[in-house]
Amino acid sequence: MSTPTSKTATESPVEVHDLDPSEFLEEVHSFEFWFQAVEGYLSGTSHGHRPETAERPRVGEERERLIGVLCNYCVAESAALDTASGLVTIAPNRQSKIFLSTQVVDEGRHLEVFLHRLGELGVGDAEAEIAKRASPSMLAFKSRLLQLIEGKDWDSAIFAQNVALESLEFVVFRRHCETADPVTAEVLARVIKDERRHMGFGENELGRRFRTDPTGRVRIREFRKEIDHLVHETLKDTARHLGVPSGDQEELGRLYRESVERLGLS
Amino acid sequence: MADFLSAYSIQSWLESCPQSYLEDTVYGHGADEGEAELVIENEVLREDSIRTTVALVVGERCALSASSGLINLAPDEGSKRFLATQTLDEARHVEIFTQRLFDLGVKKDNLETTVQRYANPNLIKFAELLLEKIDNKDFVAGVVGQNIVLEGMAFSVFEMMHTANAEMNPKFAHTLSGTIADERRHVGFGENRIGSLIQEHPEKKPEVEKMQKEMSYWMLATFSDAFKQTQAIDELDRIGEQRSHARFHGTDLGLASPEEMEAVLADTVLKEFKTRLGRIGLDYQTPSRP
Repeated sequence: MSTPTSKTATESPVEVHDLDPSEFLEEVHSFEFWFQAVEGYLSGTSHGHRPETAERPRVGEERERLIGVLCNYCVAESAALDTASGLVTIAPNRQSKIFLSTQVVDEGRHLEVFLHRLGELGVGDAEAEIAKRASPSMLAFKSRLLQLIEGKDWDSAIFAQNVALESLEFVVFRRHCETADPVTAEVLARVIKDERRHMGFGENELGRRFRTDPTGRVRIREFRKEIDHLVHETLKDTARHLGVPSGDQEELGRLYRESVERLGLS
Repeated sequence: MADFLSAYSIQSWLESCPQSYLEDTVYGHGADEGEAELVIENEVLREDSIRTTVALVVGERCALSASSGLINLAPDEGSKRFLATQTLDEARHVEIFTQRLFDLGVKKDNLETTVQRYANPNLIKFAELLLEKIDNKDFVAGVVGQNIVLEGMAFSVFEMMHTANAEMNPKFAHTLSGTIADERRHVGFGENRIGSLIQEHPEKKPEVEKMQKEMSYWMLATFSDAFKQTQAIDELDRIGEQRSHARFHGTDLGLASPEEMEAVLADTVLKEFKTRLGRIGLDYQTPSRP
């Protein structure tokens, strides 16, 4: 598709950051903007990586560990898919619905590429393997997210999904990327680009809402206390699967704390 | 089922939709295409186009709510991922038809009041029936209502509009052609996925068939209102503009009266329903005529 910032062949391209706030939101929450963003890094890839990227076979304990990690990524992405789709239904305006629809397809893609990677590692029945290896904390997190959707609690669901879960995934995937085999690293690098966009939406949405409704900040500050232990347990479990030394686990929680601080929720 | 669903993966969607027929488009049409001047300059034709486009926006908003709601109800991961692509397709349709309202001169601040003013109450009843099934977490009824009835209706409506606009308003026709390609995929998924579910849950057939009959009634009532309300044909005659003589299912759209157009559209959609429902093991129910 053509760049969304050049509306016709004769008009000059528009720099999104020069737009006024409402036009900025209209632009960055659009399908057109999403496509422009993902086309740059998904073009020419198949299941999240370039076809020519060399596979470095993982064996023994290393393979087992990677399968365990990928199974838990699938649980997280499946939770994100169910939550993002639920958020489309309860979103308060058209732009948010459209942005969240792009997030739905991103989360579905992440689930698909991780399932495909499990297949490449020789896992025949991925769903059975995921059920066997899913960490209890991740399942508890998923269950809490779905409760928020069921209760149509927009602010809490956006915080739990687009701030807490997305920060968690972002930091874990980035860390994993540093040590992963070439194919997994490529898959993760493209997922990370999507997560960055989702986190931006979450912070922007909550930040704007808190400016007009300060009571929302107070409520989410309390909610944050409730889910903090879930975030930390999930992080600890995932770090254990990845083989991250316990001393480094605190560092992994930093991004989540930074997002929380930016929103005035600490 | 796994093999059939692999054709509906996100990878396939990326290759066949955004990286294929949407390539080099902006809001679904060529970057240098604009709305037909005649439509913009003539107030009667402009208002008629706004009313028609509002109906498309209302239908697509319903499809967006339904497809996103179905993800949580889907019994398998493959269906969830297909519905993720459908959710984004529907969001894109909401976006491009909303953009058409802006292109027709609707101010952004007046969008919701314009939608409320022109939204057809019968179309809203049609949407409510479908969304009630999703609220009740009924996946089988939801997919039939969404991917067979709503999408089947949209497919034929868009085809008729595309035929009528191909010559006179290429920008709108091009916008429609991408949505037609999407709807074809959605209907295909509905037919392929739901057949096995109907076989597994034969007890659901009476309820789903009742829903099809009721949704079809509200659809016919919407068509009836739309063709009664249109002033475009009289206005084109008044200003001496020729209509396009393109043919839709054997009818010359340049000669047909609004009643004849309504009849050919209703007949086409209902025949398609009958064929598609038969393929998935459901008995088509003839709706009452409004």
